[in-house]
Amino acid sequence: MKSHSPNPALVLAGLLAMIPLSPALAHTGTGTQIGLESGFLHPLSGADHIIAMVAVGLWGAQLGNPAIWVLPITFPLVMAVGGLLGVMGIDLPFVELMIALSGIALGAMVALNIRPPLWVAATIVGVFAIFHGYAHGKELPDAADAVAFAVGFVVATGMLHLLGILIGVAVRWEAGAKAVRACGAAIGCLGVYFLLGAIGIIE
Amino acid sequence: MTRLARRAGIAGAVALVRRAGSVGALALVFALTPGLAHAHLVDTRLGDFYSGALHPLTDFEQVLPWLALAVLAAFQGPRTARWVVLAFPLALAAGGALSLVLPPPPFAPVAGVTLVALTGLAVAAQLRLPLAALLVLAVGLGLLDGYQNGAAMVATTDRFLFLSGVTVIGYAFVTLALGCAIAFLAGVGGWRPIALRAAGSWVAAVGIMVLGLHLVSRGVG
Repeated sequence: MKSHSPNPALVLAGLLAMIPLSPALAHTGTGTQIGLESGFLHPLSGADHIIAMVAVGLWGAQLGNPAIWVLPITFPLVMAVGGLLGVMGIDLPFVELMIALSGIALGAMVALNIRPPLWVAATIVGVFAIFHGYAHGKELPDAADAVAFAVGFVVATGMLHLLGILIGVAVRWEAGAKAVRACGAAIGCLGVYFLLGAIGIIE
Repeated sequence: MTRLARRAGIAGAVALVRRAGSVGALALVFALTPGLAHAHLVDTRLGDFYSGALHPLTDFEQVLPWLALAVLAAFQGPRTARWVVLAFPLALAAGGALSLVLPPPPFAPVAGVTLVALTGLAVAAQLRLPLAALLVLAVGLGLLDGYQNGAAMVATTDRFLFLSGVTVIGYAFVTLALGCAIAFLAGVGGWRPIALRAAGSWVAAVGIMVLGLHLVSRGVG
């Protein structure tokens, strides 16, 4: 019978390779790095953004082809229009309110498995995308590197869509479809929480 | 006797392999041990070549449209796309050379960001372009980025080395990105072009917003 004892030298190599021998203090950050980092973290630092972006992916997956790719492709483009408004300093009212409403509306669409025509779904998502883009775009002029900031938050947004799509793929199975609808309901509830916060009912 | 010898030979080979594994593991220890590399004094000889090669890669305004151009070319098929591999680096070199004799055009920053948005939109739309249009885009992008990189040189920069670095990295980047995109599209699954189109929409979104910022800044200025 063969023994499968690990090679001691290999174990030693692994252990030594894992030991950080010197602290990496050199990376204080440059404009591009800071811009990219702050841009990437911007959508992730607000749970209201996160749930709405995931809901876009979930809804796209639930609606199936072609919505599964139309929604995530159109969202960044429409979001850029909202970002432009923010960059230009145009005052867009009810931004926080609309972002909270986006969680409720998109969550409800997923929870209730509502299947409107594609153009209606794209319009709903597009309207909310403008407000999400506006919130990100407002930060753009102050970023250490505007292009890196924009790259960061667009990539983070796309990743959240992808996460929603990957979860939404579960609709192929009966239990998965129910789980996706439950996710939609949870997103809707969180949206209500953020809405109450936006209008000042809760802290 | 022969069988015994054969067995002994196999055992020897196994021992040799084990020993080689141990030596390899120890080599891995040294390879993975962090340390400072003081040996490469590139600044004394080829420093400007590396400066030129790294310069475009530190700027998203250049990397993003290069990536989008490669994906757009991949959408046109390998037969059309291969011309970009030739035209783009030559245009980069020409643009760099132009920076030595021409003053900076005032439209260069806006044109650079506009090209980010345009190439991204073209990828998002999976635009089918005739070869001439693709080459115009590749040459325009190459000339502009070559000029912008060339304009970054200072009096002490070795111009030949710097522009060679820019040209070589442009060639390597676009060739690798194009090859990866073509190989990716050749795989099984209808989602592949969709994934690339989504990436194109990201590039376009960045370009649109930063173009707005440029225009607003110019308006304020």
